[in-house]
Amino acid sequence: MDTSSPETLHQTPLAARHRELGAKMVPFAGWEMPLDYGSILGESRAVRKGAGLFDVSHMARFLFCGPAAAAELDYALGGSIMDQPIGKARYTMILQEDGGIMDDLITYRTGEEEIFMVVNASNRIRDWDILTSRLDQTECADLTEDGGGILALQGPESHRILAELAGSSDFCPGFLDLAELDSPFGALFLARTGYTGEHGYEIFVTAEQIDPVWQRLVELGAAPVGLGARDVLRLEAALPLYGHEIHEGVNPIEAALRFGVRGWKTRDFVGGDALRALPEPTRGLIGLTAPKRVPREGYPLYCGDKLVGEVCSGVFSATLEKPIATAWCQLGIDGPLEVDIRGKRMAVERVDLPFVPHRSRD
Amino acid sequence: MRPNDRSYLDSHEWAQLQGDVATVGITDFAVEQLGELVYLDLPEIGQSVTRGESFGEVESVKAVSDINSPVNGEVVEINSDLPDALDPLQSDALNSGWLIKVKVSGADALDGLKDAAAYEEVVASES
Repeated sequence: MDTSSPETLHQTPLAARHRELGAKMVPFAGWEMPLDYGSILGESRAVRKGAGLFDVSHMARFLFCGPAAAAELDYALGGSIMDQPIGKARYTMILQEDGGIMDDLITYRTGEEEIFMVVNASNRIRDWDILTSRLDQTECADLTEDGGGILALQGPESHRILAELAGSSDFCPGFLDLAELDSPFGALFLARTGYTGEHGYEIFVTAEQIDPVWQRLVELGAAPVGLGARDVLRLEAALPLYGHEIHEGVNPIEAALRFGVRGWKTRDFVGGDALRALPEPTRGLIGLTAPKRVPREGYPLYCGDKLVGEVCSGVFSATLEKPIATAWCQLGIDGPLEVDIRGKRMAVERVDLPFVPHRSRD
Repeated sequence: MRPNDRSYLDSHEWAQLQGDVATVGITDFAVEQLGELVYLDLPEIGQSVTRGESFGEVESVKAVSDINSPVNGEVVEINSDLPDALDPLQSDALNSGWLIKVKVSGADALDGLKDAAAYEEVVASES
């Protein structure tokens, strides 16, 4: 069976809405998703200046329950879960035994014996298989296709919009806080999380809530934003994307993601021994800007005649109005850098990450 | 339907012949598929071009794409303002967004290309 054929693509509950809004729909990780509603750059700017609304219902939602859930996940994942407070979200990852990153994800401690998790759509099946194989007494459920979904409301106006929707502004005071918010659409489960570097929320909606909540947020001023702008925004904020900056051949230490493997020096978890045995990193992730053309994934990076790295992701930044890219680069390289764009050399400038400062804690 | 005063290549370029000079561009469909344009690379005057082979590149927010020549010949003029101001290509690809003019060998220079109706089928199959 060809799983890439349109007939077999999953659709989010909002697919008809996206079409009605004129979205260009594309296959993504087995789902038919909105790439843009007309302008990737315009949608990116809407998020930085006001608020944008993303349907990210393709992302996989897992629920883990039981008295042993936290302890078992503490071993199965890279980050510590035992000490994750109830009411908080954490970024972490699934590691291989050798410390390579199989996926990155967010855990939400919804109760003493209950942990909710969101993983990348492209890794849903593999993550499920690996996690359930590493867990013994924990009850596991894949909720991805329960008819509900995830709406990400992101940008400086997102608090105002959500407060208007709920009739209260008293929720998620801190970054990574969880809340259950009363609203005219019933209780909304939300988290102060996102993938844009802006102040924002991810709202976990039921099948009954998803369409009316989407509609109301748009009425209140949130601009629908597609996956194209999502990639621009996350790269501007230098947030890693599985399959680009991170993958099985990359470990969290060299990727500067120690916060995703909290307690790694002492805890017992899959991949922990390998991380503790690693030599000093020989490469790191760097930021690049270019004058005109976008340095795209896979383009080789040179310092003079020496091949020193490779581009992970590149986009045209709507905020900086120029191309930006991340690349893996050998450490200690101290000269002008060039990328090879399909046989032509182009000078690039090395810059600090992130390209656009985070405001997610504001 | 797109204008029938010119011929089209499957890879979404067009050529319009006046005397022995063909004006060459990419179609509005190609632009629509690419999305917001950020870069255009055109050849030098005097460079020879070959049907079906790349003479330039166009890049959008989403992707980079070769531009193939619908004709054989020599570049005699380029739309030199275009690389620094892509608006005409973005909004008017079939007219003011033309890319290059090519001196061709004769009146049969467009033979074998698609007419507007045949090109419309290509568009329909890719839409």
